[in-house]
Amino acid sequence: MTETETYRVGVDVGGTFTDLALWSPSGGLRTFKTLSTPDDPSLAVSDGLALMARAEGVSPETLAARIGFVVHGTTVTTNAVLTRSGATCGLLTTAGVRDALEMRRGVREAQYDNRYQNVVPLVPRRRRLPVAGRLDFRGEEVTALDPAEVAAAAEQLAADGVEAVAVCFMNAFANPAHEQAAAELVRAALPDAYVSVSSTVLPTIRFYDRVSTVALDAYVGPVLQTYLRRLTERLADVGFGGVLLIMQSNGGVCGPDLTARRPAATLLSGPAAGPRAAATYAALAKSEDCVVMDMGGTSFDASLVRGGAAAMNHTGAIDRLRIALPMLDITTVGAGGGSVGWLDTGGLLRMGPASAGASPGPACYGRGGERPTCTDADLVLGYLDPGFFAGGKLRLEPDAARAAIRAHIAEPLGLTLEEAAAGMYRVINTNMAHGVREVTVKRGLDPREFPLVVAGGAGGVHACMIADELEMPTLVVPPTASVLCATGMLLCDLQHDFVRTFVSPLERIDLEALRAVVSELTETGARLLDDEGARHIEHRLALDLRYLQQYHEVTVSIGAATLAAGDFEAMAEAFHAEHDRLYGYSLRDEGTPLELINVRVRSLGRATRLELPRPESGGADSRAALKGQRRAYVPEQDAFAEVPVYDGHALLAGNRIDGPALIERADTTLFVSARYRAEVDAHGSVVLRRRTDEVEA
Amino acid sequence: MSEVEIDPVLVSILGRALKAITDEMSLTMEKTTRSPILCEAKDFVTGLYDADGRMLEQTENLPILSFSLSPVCQHIASKFRGNIHPGDVFFHNDVFTLGNQNNDVAAFKPIFHEDLLVAWAACKGHQADIGGNVRGGYNPNATEVWQEALRIPAVKVFERGVLRRDVWDLIFANIRLPIVEQDMLAEIGACTVGERRLLGLISKYGRAHFQAHTDALFDATQRMMEAEIRSIPDGTYEGEATVYFDGKTPGSTYQIRVRINVRDERIAFDYTDTDPQTDGFVNGTFTSSASATILTFLQMVNPDIPHNEGMLRPIEIKIPGGTLLNAAYPAATTFGNHLCPPNADAIIRALAPVIPERVTAGWNQLLCSLSTGHNPHRDATYVDICFMGLKGGSGATGDCDGYDHIGMIDASGGILDQDYEMFEQMTPHLLLEHELLTDSAGPGRMRGGLGVRTRYLVGSDDTQLVTFGDGDFEPAFGLFGGGDGTLNYIELRYPDGRIHRPTSKDLITGVPAGTEYVQEAGGGGGYGPPAERSAAKVVCEVKDGIISLAAAREAYGVAIDPETLELLEAETAELRTGGAS
Repeated sequence: MTETETYRVGVDVGGTFTDLALWSPSGGLRTFKTLSTPDDPSLAVSDGLALMARAEGVSPETLAARIGFVVHGTTVTTNAVLTRSGATCGLLTTAGVRDALEMRRGVREAQYDNRYQNVVPLVPRRRRLPVAGRLDFRGEEVTALDPAEVAAAAEQLAADGVEAVAVCFMNAFANPAHEQAAAELVRAALPDAYVSVSSTVLPTIRFYDRVSTVALDAYVGPVLQTYLRRLTERLADVGFGGVLLIMQSNGGVCGPDLTARRPAATLLSGPAAGPRAAATYAALAKSEDCVVMDMGGTSFDASLVRGGAAAMNHTGAIDRLRIALPMLDITTVGAGGGSVGWLDTGGLLRMGPASAGASPGPACYGRGGERPTCTDADLVLGYLDPGFFAGGKLRLEPDAARAAIRAHIAEPLGLTLEEAAAGMYRVINTNMAHGVREVTVKRGLDPREFPLVVAGGAGGVHACMIADELEMPTLVVPPTASVLCATGMLLCDLQHDFVRTFVSPLERIDLEALRAVVSELTETGARLLDDEGARHIEHRLALDLRYLQQYHEVTVSIGAATLAAGDFEAMAEAFHAEHDRLYGYSLRDEGTPLELINVRVRSLGRATRLELPRPESGGADSRAALKGQRRAYVPEQDAFAEVPVYDGHALLAGNRIDGPALIERADTTLFVSARYRAEVDAHGSVVLRRRTDEVEA
Repeated sequence: MSEVEIDPVLVSILGRALKAITDEMSLTMEKTTRSPILCEAKDFVTGLYDADGRMLEQTENLPILSFSLSPVCQHIASKFRGNIHPGDVFFHNDVFTLGNQNNDVAAFKPIFHEDLLVAWAACKGHQADIGGNVRGGYNPNATEVWQEALRIPAVKVFERGVLRRDVWDLIFANIRLPIVEQDMLAEIGACTVGERRLLGLISKYGRAHFQAHTDALFDATQRMMEAEIRSIPDGTYEGEATVYFDGKTPGSTYQIRVRINVRDERIAFDYTDTDPQTDGFVNGTFTSSASATILTFLQMVNPDIPHNEGMLRPIEIKIPGGTLLNAAYPAATTFGNHLCPPNADAIIRALAPVIPERVTAGWNQLLCSLSTGHNPHRDATYVDICFMGLKGGSGATGDCDGYDHIGMIDASGGILDQDYEMFEQMTPHLLLEHELLTDSAGPGRMRGGLGVRTRYLVGSDDTQLVTFGDGDFEPAFGLFGGGDGTLNYIELRYPDGRIHRPTSKDLITGVPAGTEYVQEAGGGGGYGPPAERSAAKVVCEVKDGIISLAAAREAYGVAIDPETLELLEAETAELRTGGAS
């Protein structure tokens, strides 16, 4: 069977819904939603397959046999951390530093709050066992490793019933020998335990980063392995014989066996495919770059695509636990449909981060919620149709929304009901705009140069005003906005990231040694991709450089030719330019020497591009999709007006709509504000452009 | 301007936007500075001020530095009135014109909108060297400011965007380390980031609108602070704390005495009865002492109050000149920031009986060391403040344990340990131990935070060590029946077997390679009787090795089987009813 004859499936298991995207050569792209099954998330995957089979009019077995690829994003590791339900772990570490994991370099994030507590460490002190071997900063041995001591520690951990062991020794980035020897002894003593070794998982300098990362890796390892086993079995049960790929935090995919060997790389598996899909839709709107926003019930995520690829960082954290693996650079703000509006003791209006969640939910859900939320404000402002929320599945109660806003916001502030609702809307939009600022301005980028791709059920009502706040001229609302990640999973490449610390002044670098490291990493990547059956393989090189005596590095992409030629000037120039962009200055002219800290290689196995479906073309006139009018708030005029409401499913490619207008789909509502004009592009995305810019241009 | 109609929602939005800007300035500093004191430990602050120097917002990694920026900004605005232009940059560190500490050097940049001065961006960080007799500062033998530092009264280093090379060179000719020059450039960079972003905000909302709404923001913040103060019973409350050893006379002590008056929505801190200044460098400056007062009080109110001018309005601070906390010219004052811990103790003692639910027990006081010398591996001079060693435990509150390894109250967890491997790259030393310190926490129903033990092997000859701090005579105090934490100390174990314990303000030269440096930072004070602590918690902490079996029995009245480490319930009940602790 060739690839083009097979179906592809993307499955994004979220907290409430499991989203699925099915692509077939004949049927194109279709999306589905089914309720998640938190006790065993793989159950929802088979439910989803059954749902798709019904839609196809075939048995689940027949469908499964036709599926060539299942790409799966999972939140099992994320949830294991957030709910502290991971494995019983041990840590084997250098004598004298076993508390680094717990002390977190002595930070208290809330300086003025004496009730703010430290994070409970993933490995308790009694299972953080010291061993005496020691390497110095160059990786040279100071004290030999004592195998008997390691074996004794391993036995103690075995007696404590650990399911996973993290191994992290001082300066192992410079020499893995002690760690690897200790890991062997641990594996011998605990054959069933998952063993995570820092020089394998993250061979880079900074002890705290490594120990925190391997502790996370060990903590989620057994959970992920169990889950993958169960998922593989379930898929086999329905007759699936194709390739299963797991979404990684770095935006790539890889097979279950490799995934099971580096579990911490799935901590952002869930949202990591969003930027891939966003990049595809943005590319259709002729942009290589975009900002992606995803607004759900309790939180708002913003991330960035540059040059067609998701922006990464390696300074992330999950629940205040440091993870230094390359992962999607995502900023999360406590702003969603359920965010509660309240007044602080100075009388200022605040929105969130507290959320009414799904239960009791916003006041307008009529489930006993009394506090006013973002959704209540959206309803009062006329953006939501009380009879058409979630496609009509949930009837909203406007009176409850009004009462909550009046009692908690309008009356105390001396505002009318509608002024109060508009205030809530503005404040939460500002909070979200700051999330977008985090991923752009703080990285030295101007948001005005990026289109904003809108995802998530609640995003459409707020996107225009977020874009307006940041003067972003273009928004793209894909037809699959509410299941963007599942769609993205169909588009992701096989990908492996490697990093190795290589400390040296740039001008005195041992070029042969550097090339040897690069080819070793490249060959490892090629071998892994080959095993996974990848065809179009490419490798990308980047260096972490800094000015001599700086403490923080800047990652700079370097072409293969630059390395081959040993062109240090080109490397330095790339660094100066990036430093200037990020921090407002460079020392290009001062002759300040540079030093290399880490070498990074990304190996990619390119996925076959899918042809996205195209709706029928219908010209500029959108009147056929007009379904009525509704009184709604127009922020630009700070007033209510009768606003036309369009049926999003009836829009055709080329249709134009001038704001203010509302476009309703079963799973989301889009508000086009007065300053924007919407046009449906060839692939069904609604593209909004700022009208003032059109006039000026 | 009074014509502008205030939009309460825009006030909320501006508050959020200003915070985002000072955070972004802080990130710029963190990522671009060279000295680990700045980029690893984050010993700096960034802020925005209005045209009159009133605080719009600050990001306070180290709060003790932060409440002097606004007064200095006002000083510069008045000193240079009529001579402030777009593109100007000012430097300042002078403690006799409102600076807080010599090493804390600030950069100020005026912000103009349509040719009108509308605001200032400022940044201040602890610089690795500032001239004076001792590399890195902290000269315990100093008796006058000139022996401590180069004084930089407000000077203009950029004029209309052009570097004043002569002024610049004069400053950096008097500072030992070239990285200080780079790090001051980074401070200017952070100010530029603040300038660009604030101008964006002002352009968006219009100048008159912006100013009217920041005034409204101050008013709203003032109301928040007033509500907090109103909830404290009216009255006058007194507290006292002892400062041990002035760096010159062994056994010397000095008293900090504060009288706090609360009436309606105003609070006043009066230090009139504090002892006179010392002959040495253990002296406060007005702004470092006032910062200490403010940051201690801020820990007793709602932590969500924005940090701007409005927050400060209901607070009055009186510190007469010539006292320990406001030394007169030309006193040496480098130690002044570190009078914050005893100052905080005096305030806590005064208010604990009145607002017991809002105070902590005593915090571990700072004892710190700074090592400098030659790093043969990099063939370079290094300066390292041993941040990881200085961070002891905080005091417990009535319902929470203290925070382990948080460090002095002046920073409250805002400054960080060096990463161990970076420490070994940047210094010649080899780290032997950095662990939580068993039995260091003051016992209590809620225990104090734990201290740490630090040991490293000195890696090159002729190393120079400076110690500065306290907490080696009096431990962090317990409250309401809670016990004290442990004491601080630093010890040098020379290769020839000699053991030397420096004083808390000492200068030790010629330390040879192979010397073992040992330091203990003590724990914080406990809160409430230890016998009321859950026995299960005690057992858990014994299993984790942070409470010994002996301490469990003696301090907490909890009996534990030494073999199984399980609770012996009957014996525990007996110990506890028998009046243990």
